[in-house]
Amino acid sequence: MKHQDTYVGVVLLALCAIVYWLTTGFPEVPAMLSQNVPPTFFPRLIISLVAILSVALIFNGLGKSREIRARIKPAVLITASIIVLAGVLVGLLGTLLTLGLIAIALPVAWGERRWRPLGILALGLPAAIYLIFSAALGIRFPPGLLLDWLL
Amino acid sequence: MGLPGLEYALPVFTDPLVIGLIILGTVAGVVVGALPGLSSSMAIALLLPFSLYLDPVPAISLLAALYCAGTYGGSITAILINAPGAPPAAATAFDGYPMAVKGEAGRALGIAAIASSSGGIFSVIVLLFAAPFLARIAYSFGPPEYFALAIFGLSMLASISAEAPVKNLIGGCLGLLIATVGVDLTTGVERFTFGVPELSDGIHFIPVLIGLFAVTELLSQAQKLGQEKFGVRLSAVKLPSLDDLRRVKGTILRSSVIGTFIGVLPAEGATMAAMIGYNEAKRWSDEPEEFGKGAIEGVAGPEAANNAATGGAMVPTLALGIPGSATAAVILGGLQVHGLRPGPYLFDEQPGLLYGIFFAMLLANVLFLFVGLAGAKIFSRISLVPPTLLWPTVFALCFVGAYGLEQSVIDVWVMMLAGLLGFVLKRHGFAPAPIIMGLVLGGLVESSLAQSLIIFDQQWTGFLGRPIALVFLGLASISVLWAPTRAAIGRLLPRNRRTA
Repeated sequence: MKHQDTYVGVVLLALCAIVYWLTTGFPEVPAMLSQNVPPTFFPRLIISLVAILSVALIFNGLGKSREIRARIKPAVLITASIIVLAGVLVGLLGTLLTLGLIAIALPVAWGERRWRPLGILALGLPAAIYLIFSAALGIRFPPGLLLDWLL
Repeated sequence: MGLPGLEYALPVFTDPLVIGLIILGTVAGVVVGALPGLSSSMAIALLLPFSLYLDPVPAISLLAALYCAGTYGGSITAILINAPGAPPAAATAFDGYPMAVKGEAGRALGIAAIASSSGGIFSVIVLLFAAPFLARIAYSFGPPEYFALAIFGLSMLASISAEAPVKNLIGGCLGLLIATVGVDLTTGVERFTFGVPELSDGIHFIPVLIGLFAVTELLSQAQKLGQEKFGVRLSAVKLPSLDDLRRVKGTILRSSVIGTFIGVLPAEGATMAAMIGYNEAKRWSDEPEEFGKGAIEGVAGPEAANNAATGGAMVPTLALGIPGSATAAVILGGLQVHGLRPGPYLFDEQPGLLYGIFFAMLLANVLFLFVGLAGAKIFSRISLVPPTLLWPTVFALCFVGAYGLEQSVIDVWVMMLAGLLGFVLKRHGFAPAPIIMGLVLGGLVESSLAQSLIIFDQQWTGFLGRPIALVFLGLASISVLWAPTRAAIGRLLPRNRRTA
């Protein structure tokens, strides 16, 4: 088996090709306006550098044997799902309710079963955020569709 | 010769808000530094959006105090539970923890506080003299020199980790590429916006850095769940004796110089300074065999060096606008968010602000000596906060921090995606710091390169006629080629020995 760096290098090269292709969609600009430094110039320069470095990474990986790494634990995948879910829920339930739910879901996913501290966190965290950031600093959090519908 | 800018110290030292924020930043920095997984970079990233509600001097003073104290805070858990609160304190655990096991935890903590404070104060004094001097030199810099300097700063990423120079450079390039998202200022063309109007102004670096530092660490903590930490209890915080101080004074001075110098180099941070400080303390010691078993110099060396690096890192950050470390890059971003462009002209335009920051750092370094000594026993208990309750709180702060800047949900998604991407990259050996450096320097690199090429009429050879730019580009080449050359020599040498 090849070292992981070899595969990372190949993935990076593929990404470079995709990003380069994206730059071909930039509108053409007359040389007078761009002063001969078109908007594609700098991104393409960086993409070329990444491509060169990716080739170096591939060759680096070819000389090494595969590294043994710990498998990703289910807790990581659950945590990542909760993070994404928070982004989805914020539009529906609003920020404070979402953060209250996250304050229960995340510790439970991590094995916390003491319900008293969990309850305090679930109620205390959104309350503290509301008092400090909304009431004191004036940040207007999205109320969410639920609150919009209720009001 | 008195300290420069002393006339600007009075407003800092007499403003109750600034003093209060420096105390808050110092205590918060020690607490954050003491918590394994939390770093001062992360804490500053989280605080940055909220600092916008303050004037620049109190805001940056708060962040600078957190930076200084956070570097020291990492030593508390390194000594007491053998778990460095932050990477720069890793070397402190080598001898600090064995001292704690021998029942000398208080002595180790005392030396760590004194060495950290001394290193920090030394470096701020250097900062007071060196930053204006460097800024005066930088007055003559034009776009080619700035481009070459930024490239030198980015090239130093190759040397911050011996194992992954190529990955660090790729990370830096990735940051530069992210910085190109949005409207190109020269032509008005939208780049990589995919029709999303919120991306026209570019990807704001604050959500990215909150994601890369905090959300990535949240996922890393999920991977570490169930790992037990073993530690010793602190029975009493006993100040080190005068004999101890006499024994380590040379080590502290040497490490302070080393740390300041390492800190001044772009991209080189406190972790490397601490490692070199430890190695030099061992090399100069009369009893090197005691290192690793609880040598007091083994605590003083890295602690003086890592805190000295904080002041050192602020020299290029404030004088040239090139960050000296990942945390300095975050502070640089903080200055930009406040509408300030760090660099030589800031010394003319806002001397009160700059010297205010310097004296805030000086005060923070004095304060955490007392905070650290008096509160070490309490701070050591912070590490007992269950991660199951700590990290949801951190996530809530990430959420609010990313949203609060522009009050945009898009920024929350950017933060989350940056965190998920950061975890995948970290698993494959890519550190977040180079990406942040690239992102913060992206605008400067692109604009100075474009201006240089316009000046040189599209001829790259124009750089050959600019000696300062040429020196920086030469240093950048050495910095990039140093690691592969050393590796190649290392591969060749044993072969030669075998054939001989």
